[in-house]
Amino acid sequence: MTRRFFTHGMTRGSWVFLALLAAAGVLVPALNLGLPAGHPLHMPTYAVTLSGKYLTYALLALALDLVWGYCGILSLGHAAFFALGGYAMGMYLMRQIGPRGVYGDPLLPDFMVFLDWQELPWYWLGFDAFPVALAMALVVPGLLAFVFGWFAFRARVGGVYLSIITQAMTYALLLAFFRNDMGFGGNNGLTDFKEILGFDLQSDATRAGLFAASALALGLAFVLCVAITSSRLGKVLVAVRDAESRTRFLGYRVEHYKLFVWTVSAMMAGLAGALYVPQVGIINPGEFAPANSIEAVIWVAIGGRGTLVGPVLGAGLVNFAKSWFTAALPELWLFALGALFIAVTLFLPKGLVGSLPRLWANATSARSKAPPDARTKAPAAAE
Amino acid sequence: MPHHAPPTMPGQPDPHRHDTLLYLDGVSVAFDGFQALNNLSMVVARTEMRAVIGPNGAGKTTMMDVITGKTRPDSGTLRFGETIDLTRHDEADIAGFGIGRKFQKPTVFESHTVEDNLALALKGRRGPFAALFHVTGDDERQRIDDLLSLIRLAHLRAAPAGGLSHGQKQWLEIGMLLAQDPQLLLIDEPAAGMTDAETAATAELLRDIARTHSVVVVEHDMAFVRALDVKVTVLHEGSVLAEGSLDHVSANRKVIDVYLGR
Amino acid sequence: MYPPPPTLPRAALNAGAAASAPPAPKSSRGPMIRACLLPPAQAIPALRALLLLALVLGASLAGSLARAEESADLRAAIAALAKGSFAETEKRIAALAALGDARAVPALEALAGGDLYRREADGAVFIARSAGGGYRLTEPLSLQDVGTAGRREVKKIRVNNRLRRTIRAALGALTLSASDPARRLAAAKAILKTRDGEAVEALDQALARETDPQVAAVMQAARAAAVLASDRSAEEKSAAIDLLAARGDREAMAIVASIATAGDAPLAAQAKAAVARMERSQALWDVARNIWYGLSLGSVLLLAAIGLAITFGVMGVINMAHGEMVMLGAYTAFMVQGLFGALAPGLIDYALVVALPAAFLVTGLVGIAIERGVIRFLHARPLETLLATWGVSLILQQGVRTLFGPTNREVGSPSFMSGAFELGQLTITYNRLWILVFSLTLFAALIAAMRKTRFGLTIRAVTQNRRMAASMGIRTPLVDALTFGLGSGIAGIAGVALSQIDNVSPNLGQSYIIDSFMVVVFGGVGNLWGTLLGAMSLGIANKFLEPFAGAVLAKILVLVFLILFIQKRPRGLFALKGRAVEA
Ligand SMILES: Nc1ncnc2c1ncn2[C@@H]1O[C@H](COP(=O)(O)OP(=O)(O)OP(=O)(O)O)[C@@H](O)[C@H]1O
Ligand SMILES: [Mg+2]
Repeated sequence: MTRRFFTHGMTRGSWVFLALLAAAGVLVPALNLGLPAGHPLHMPTYAVTLSGKYLTYALLALALDLVWGYCGILSLGHAAFFALGGYAMGMYLMRQIGPRGVYGDPLLPDFMVFLDWQELPWYWLGFDAFPVALAMALVVPGLLAFVFGWFAFRARVGGVYLSIITQAMTYALLLAFFRNDMGFGGNNGLTDFKEILGFDLQSDATRAGLFAASALALGLAFVLCVAITSSRLGKVLVAVRDAESRTRFLGYRVEHYKLFVWTVSAMMAGLAGALYVPQVGIINPGEFAPANSIEAVIWVAIGGRGTLVGPVLGAGLVNFAKSWFTAALPELWLFALGALFIAVTLFLPKGLVGSLPRLWANATSARSKAPPDARTKAPAAAE
Repeated sequence: MPHHAPPTMPGQPDPHRHDTLLYLDGVSVAFDGFQALNNLSMVVARTEMRAVIGPNGAGKTTMMDVITGKTRPDSGTLRFGETIDLTRHDEADIAGFGIGRKFQKPTVFESHTVEDNLALALKGRRGPFAALFHVTGDDERQRIDDLLSLIRLAHLRAAPAGGLSHGQKQWLEIGMLLAQDPQLLLIDEPAAGMTDAETAATAELLRDIARTHSVVVVEHDMAFVRALDVKVTVLHEGSVLAEGSLDHVSANRKVIDVYLGR
Repeated sequence: MYPPPPTLPRAALNAGAAASAPPAPKSSRGPMIRACLLPPAQAIPALRALLLLALVLGASLAGSLARAEESADLRAAIAALAKGSFAETEKRIAALAALGDARAVPALEALAGGDLYRREADGAVFIARSAGGGYRLTEPLSLQDVGTAGRREVKKIRVNNRLRRTIRAALGALTLSASDPARRLAAAKAILKTRDGEAVEALDQALARETDPQVAAVMQAARAAAVLASDRSAEEKSAAIDLLAARGDREAMAIVASIATAGDAPLAAQAKAAVARMERSQALWDVARNIWYGLSLGSVLLLAAIGLAITFGVMGVINMAHGEMVMLGAYTAFMVQGLFGALAPGLIDYALVVALPAAFLVTGLVGIAIERGVIRFLHARPLETLLATWGVSLILQQGVRTLFGPTNREVGSPSFMSGAFELGQLTITYNRLWILVFSLTLFAALIAAMRKTRFGLTIRAVTQNRRMAASMGIRTPLVDALTFGLGSGIAGIAGVALSQIDNVSPNLGQSYIIDSFMVVVFGGVGNLWGTLLGAMSLGIANKFLEPFAGAVLAKILVLVFLILFIQKRPRGLFALKGRAVEA
């Protein structure tokens, strides 16, 4: 029964994707750890970490796609969930530093000593245990999403209004986390991590392990998304996206569906953040910046929303381009990104994965009568 | 989110007649001062079919909006069955009680296949978790097959509904309405966009349905209304102008003036 | 990649902060008067400040040949201080004060502080400070350093307590009788601050001469403060309390409050009652102050949002590049000012006036280009429009960064926009006032344009029913482009105004975009009056929260409130109803 639930929606494409991901999850660490540094196939550690970062971005993109691509909720605040997950993990990593901080306080992180705090705030308790931190990386974003969504969806805030208030939400969090007295390190955030689960964060093996963990998390999330989107619930989500009011008249409580998928998505984003932080070694309020959320949206858009492979592909491509540009032509990156936003919305509304099969079909067989796909049409108002 | 069974409790004392399913009394709705429904009263009995006619802007669609919870009435009583006060519930609740609706402008889920459209409409549990773990059973598949052949879309079952013609969408929406299996069907202009033969078939179908369900049909097509051969309510400026058989109301001077013409 | 994280809307956050810091007192008379009251050791830094001041004064006077003779008189009068008994010295001090020349102040200060010395050799008088084994001498009038002297060469001019009091009075009288009203005002304020009981007579004399009502009022208050500090009769003190109570500002309150705790019974009771009254009026002034700051912040929000009220509110286009239109307007102001600076430096005050239409034109054209190039293809796809215009905003930001560099640019204020004035107990800076006036004017002009002109009518027709308008022969694409241009142009004009209070940098627009959307949505989409009310009430709410929560937390609270508000009333304060909205 459970197995059926997870597998019945898997298509051949999904299996291929999972196989590739699994191969990468094994091969990348192997090429890094197994081959000597001089070997032509050796993968340098920085490349492992960079790819690991891309995988967490891909997970964030997948989460965003679940709400936007399938349910039509354009969130401009997913960076908030990502950052909250990151902070939860960052708190664990902070507490792992123990007495090795600059001030050598056995309990308090450096920034608290610096602020002359005497004891650990209550919300830092328990974060020395990895399972607690990991659970919090899921629960906190999930809870925020649940509360936010509870109000928003019940009041039927939708469309751009919802986008704008999600943006306001992440902006408010940005401002809040800048404050020193929030107890999250203020402007500087959390950094100078030493080890995770007892493994040195600087060592190659740990980095390879984090990469593999990211690949595993992405794979599991992918399977979960396939299961959700191919279920009856997934069909209701698409129905909501295309004709929300009609769905209500069929007796579906749209707000419950939205709330469900919104919360799941936020938890996925939180997990992505939790995997991101140990790999980049820092989390600060800048991660809440509204611009980050919007950038994640373009990953989904370019890859193809409403497909599950698309966002992963989009996140990888855009971030690869970003890494390349910011190294080679830093001046031009924002031009390129801006142009990408415009070009994708104007010329590639369904993204690469959404458009390519069609282009392919058109090119190969003239007789294929692809039925017009209504996905990009404005949702018809039920009236 | 349990499915709401219509709480019909036969043993209870009842101020109204036992076979009253829908009861509207003194319902008024205003939009920015414009009175769309004005003290509208109407009673529909169980397994009754009622045709509602009236000029454009008479408030026919607004009446359906009010019944299905889309628009809140400013005043008036709206009761379904013996006990349910419809003004206290929203669209999803009301659909759960057993009121189904076909829209004036056919509205289907365009990127879903015809089959999925019907599957989504099928009577069943509506909660997200029920939907998440839902497994389509044989009886459901059978029901979808039956409906597909009834609405003559079996050959298009795997096609996206967005590609259907206007008339096909009308049929699909009727099919979805039947899939819901509601106690009361509100049908807004079903014949628009249909051929004469299809219109006749629709009338036939509706008469068939009305044997076991209550139906309210809004239509401008007089031939269709005549074919239904049921009691007619004429709306004008948000209230009932006349009620009775089609011949009776067509003879009414006021109806002729505002709607039918000479 | 992105601008550094703290993209707080600086102007928005600082709006009050800037307005709330009253301009620093230009005159340093305060320390001078205080110096007379302090023991010598503490008076040294104060003296130094005084010397500086005196230097400045001296320099400004030095050029006057006509006063050379007067200087001689003055020098003689100062030199005379060194001779004779205490009783004679007292008379001479009075004589010196009677000359009414403020240049005598340093000498008197030094005398009171025990720093005035006589050179045994020629009887000349100097201000001396011990240095090494001897003294460093300063000429008491010119305040120039005239070398050093050994311990035995000079002799301290001795004073007793009685003389010190006389000197103090003389000093007060000297500054209170200065010819410059600003200096008289400063002197009176200084006495008000120090509450010198000895100053009553000097103030009485000064008041008899005073012609400037504003200065006189401060002198009155200073006199009342002095009376309270003196050993005068209870009736006089009671009258003084009444006078201060009527004045009612914080300073007066502090003085009266000190009587309430320290004075004798009947006076204390009277003072207590007066303090209570003043506290009430203070509370009112605090409210007034918050309202003013709130209106000031509101006017900034209004400026930022007003263009958006057209593009988003009326047209329904989600323009994420709106902030960049504001930014471009500010850069246009910078350019125009640069042009004026190069071509017509004398007319620089008018640069801002010229910048307004220039900015309207520049951003209006950019807006039309965006509408024609991008937005029209995304009609009725709001989420896509949002993304595409975000892309436009990135390009514009980076473009400006490439052209003008990433650093802040300075747009100077014309003279009529600098300075401040007092309204009761409010300090109102001119630039804030102008911005408030300007934002309201812009708003009124926009309302008039929408209501009264044919173009406004066309816009409303197209936005309310596009197909109907088209079928009536209105060229809707043209109207779309022009409307978007209008909204963008207005954003540009707002940018010119905002360049006066915010840093002109490529990130300028980013800091406004969320606020602007919040204002428009809060006020009610499609309702210009709602935008006005939304901006003002959000500004005021922010400023009323700030005293309790601090600036950042206040902003967060307002955001959270807005998020909750939108859930309650998704269509804002003044929602349009009807089917058109639902579609
Ligand atoms: N949400 C709304 N906002 C404003 N006016 C509305 C709204 N809904 C309906 N109306 C107005 O109420 C009146 C009645 O409309 P309704 O759609 O009920 O008429 P109808 O009888 O269905 O007409 P038709 O035969 O053309 O379908 C119309 O004038 C319409 O413009
Ligand atoms: Mg109708």
